[in-house]
This record gives sequence, C-alpha cells and structure tokens, in this order.
Amino acid sequence: MKTAIAKLMLAAGLGMAAAPLFAAEIVVIVNPKNPATRMFSEQAGQFFLGKSTLFTPVEHTDGPLRNEFYKKVLDKDATQVKAIWSKLVFTGKATAPKEYGSSAEVKKAVAADVSAIGYIEKSQVDDSVKVILTVQ
Amino acid sequence: MKQPKLALTVLAVLGALAAQAHADDALPITVSGFGTGALTMTDTNDGLFNRTNQVGGAGKSARTGVDSNLGLQMTAKLSDSLSLTAQGLVRKNGPSDQYAGEMAWAFAKYKASDEISFRVGRIGLPVYMISDVRNVGYANIMMRAPNEVYRQVTADNIDGADVLYQHNFGETTVTGQLAVGRTRFHASGNYDVEFKPAVSAQVVLENGPFTYRLGHAKAKVNVYDNANLSALLAALNKYGLTSVSAQLPLSDIDGTFTSAGFAMDYNNIVLQGEYAKRKTETRAIQDTSSYYLMGGYRMGKFLPYVMYGDVKQDSIRSFASLPTTGPLAGLTAAANGAIQAGLQSTTAIGVRWDFYKSAAFKFQIDHISTRDGTGYFANATPALAGKSVNVYAAGIDFVF
Repeated sequence: MKTAIAKLMLAAGLGMAAAPLFAAEIVVIVNPKNPATRMFSEQAGQFFLGKSTLFTPVEHTDGPLRNEFYKKVLDKDATQVKAIWSKLVFTGKATAPKEYGSSAEVKKAVAADVSAIGYIEKSQVDDSVKVILTVQ
Repeated sequence: MKQPKLALTVLAVLGALAAQAHADDALPITVSGFGTGALTMTDTNDGLFNRTNQVGGAGKSARTGVDSNLGLQMTAKLSDSLSLTAQGLVRKNGPSDQYAGEMAWAFAKYKASDEISFRVGRIGLPVYMISDVRNVGYANIMMRAPNEVYRQVTADNIDGADVLYQHNFGETTVTGQLAVGRTRFHASGNYDVEFKPAVSAQVVLENGPFTYRLGHAKAKVNVYDNANLSALLAALNKYGLTSVSAQLPLSDIDGTFTSAGFAMDYNNIVLQGEYAKRKTETRAIQDTSSYYLMGGYRMGKFLPYVMYGDVKQDSIRSFASLPTTGPLAGLTAAANGAIQAGLQSTTAIGVRWDFYKSAAFKFQIDHISTRDGTGYFANATPALAGKSVNVYAAGIDFVF
C-alpha cells in the first residue's frame, strides 16, 4: 500500500525520492554502570519519544541512521518525531535530546552519563558502553 | 497587564543567566522557538473571522493577523531537579488589533522525583487537550484549534502553581495535573474577565498510539468594564426588573468547565476529538456544550484531514417574563441579546505538508454555518445571521 502511494506520488512528480538504504545493524546502548541489561524495542522507543524520563536519550543529527532507527523502533518518520518533541518542548514538559553528528560522539556522551541511552551501529560498539538491544 | 512578582523573578534570573551564558558555554541554557506565517481570508465582509480574544479579524481581503504568531522559549537547567522556563509570544491578541508581545509563561520547575514535579509562576491553564501547544502550529495538524470548543474558556495561562504526576503502568503512561492560580484577560467583546481563583485538574492516559484525557476546572469569575452589560443592568433595575438583573451577576460567579478528549495516531490514521461543557451561575456567560472531531490520513509527507465542530447553548436564550411589545421591547431585546451565546458549526478540510525537516505548509478551508445569530464573527451585521461563510487560510509553521 505504502509503496503504491509512493509510486503514485513519484508518478505525479512530487519528488518523493526513495530513502537511502541503511544496511548496518543498529544497537541501543547505555552506560556500563546502568543496571539495565536487556530492553524491548517498545521500551527503548519510549525514551526517544519523551514518554519516559527514567533515562536521558542522546540523539543523532538528521541522517539515515536516525531515520532507520525511527522507522524500525518507533514506526515513525523524522517529521512525526519532530512534531512529538515540539509538543513536549513547548509545553515545558521536556527538553529535546542533545544531538550529535556521529556515532563516536553519541558513544562518548553515553559513556559519560550514567542515565544516558543512545543508539549506534553495531560495528562501533566497544567497552565504554553496554548494548541492551539489537534493533531488528 | 500586570506582571506578578514571581514571573518577573523567573525572567530576571533567566536574563542574568543568559548574559552569563555568553561568557561560559557550559551553562545549560536552551533556546527554542516556533512560529506560523499565514494568510487568512473569507468570502464575506458582513463580519470578521478571528481567533479567541482577537478584536479584529479577516474579511474578504487576506490578513496575516488571525493565524500568524512567533514564540521564543528559553529554559535554564540549574540542576538535575531545578529549571526555569520562559516563553514569549508575539501575536494579535487582546484589546488592540496590533501584533504585541506577551509573556505566555515564566515558571520555575522543581522535579521532586522521576514521577512528581512542581511548577510555580506563570503556567498554561490546562483546560483543553492541546491547551499548552495550541499556539504552536507545528505541533498540531490543523491550522488552528477549533473555535467551537476553544472559545468557551479563553484564558491561556494563570499565575500560580501546579503539580504534575506521571507514572507508567506497563504500556500505559498516566499523567495527572492539578493547577491553582488566577488570571485576568481581555475578551473579544472589549471587556476584562478575571478568574480568581482558577483550579484545574486533568488526567491523561497514553497507550501506544492512543491518548485519552479528562479535565475539570472551577473558577470564581469576575467581569470588568463591560459597558453594555453594566448599562443593561442599570436599565433593568431602573424599571424594577430586579428578578431579571439578578440572573446576570458580573462578579463572584461560580463557573465550571468539564472536558474529555481522545487522540489516535495509528497506521497512518490520525483522529482527534474533544467534548467540553461550560456552566456558570450567570446568564451573561452562557452554559454551552461543544465538540469537534478531526480525522486525517497520512500519506508520506502529506496529511489531508477533515474536521467538524459544533457548539450549542444549554441555558435559556430569552427571558419569558419580559414583554416583547410595548415601551420595554427594546430593553427585552437587549437583555435577550446578552444571554445568547454565539451558535455555529464548522466543517473544515485541509492538508498539512511536511515539506522541510522542521517546517510544514498548511492549507485549510472552513465552512462555518451560523445559527440564530451571527456565531463567533466579530463586528457582524444582521445580514450574517443564519448564513454560511467560507474561510480560507494558508500558512507555514516552523520550529527552531
């Protein structure tokens, strides 16, 4: 259905270019001192939508990794997530997550904050962080 | 409008911190903003279409003032548990038909635990489902909050305090809020309304794509500087019609507002609806029931939607005891006019297009049908009574 609509829009000349494929496996990481050991996809998603403040989400700047994570874990696209956060920010209920330009920086931020939660490519994982979920 | 000390203190501290932030990048201050640039026009000059608390509005020539605004919000995190937030808003609102700045919020927030926080200062009055973000176009699908429901209580904020409680029960997040404060604001009819105090409670349940909300608010209401009503009361008393004037008190009025809301964002289908009931002990502020229902379907970056909203009056629309002929007929007409709420329904269609990562384009057409009067139109001529009006609006919402 979705592809059919996308094709229609392409045909209509609306310029809905196909999203670039992101092949790498994504993992959700926390600080090694964080007591959590495993997490379901739905639970991890809560933090990145501001629905739980138990952990502090660390975000990537716009890009294919973020889009892939949103699609697989939240089943949403980037603009939907942006609208959700703008609701939270402008109600004073939450502040938007800090954004970093690379997985190395996200990893560093998670390694530096006991309550942080982030996501990076599996290939980037090292001892400074703990993997609690592999995104399917 | 007077700025209470508390809100001013929050502002002063934020200002000082912002000045310091230039010197020290480590200070955790975040500045974010939102805005809408829009043009609004209708197909009639028999009345002006506007939003809540605006005195002017749009007719046949396109105007920016109805749906445009610009907001700036600053938050300073002083510690893990204490933060200060201020939000300034520029829009057309209040006694003059000019763009003007206002302090929408200025509060200190204390996070007592992961589940409980307190706020003190100027905070949003939580009487609707989208109370806090109704001015943030980007956070909403529709061009504006439906007038039928959002005209019933037109205060945006209160000076006071609230407590917020949030708890997760499995997959369900429950948020409870209790706010107490007071406010005084300028109403569309060119008079002031005061809530002193206002007490507002709401419970919101979020479960995956579903949101449910229940709210109840109570206030002691005072109406100030309403020349028409004051003259009417004086005339009624002069002719010994005190049983009628007694039904139109303007001070110390008990009022309640009860509302329920539902929202869903599931498999590209978007639904949002609210039902709200206003009740007061004066016929000058009519008892009303209202609702709206919006449905949309997300197709990639496009989200077409339809909305229907209606408001009806629950209190009487005429005094049976007053003569409709003879020398007092004019007075009767004035008294009946004072107890009639604007009645109208709106059918709207529109589309939101997320054309850029933090900006959206919207186009909306409202078909408004007035009933037994001229609805919510400002400066309306009798020709508008019982007529339908089309309102066209296009705009761009952005956040930064």
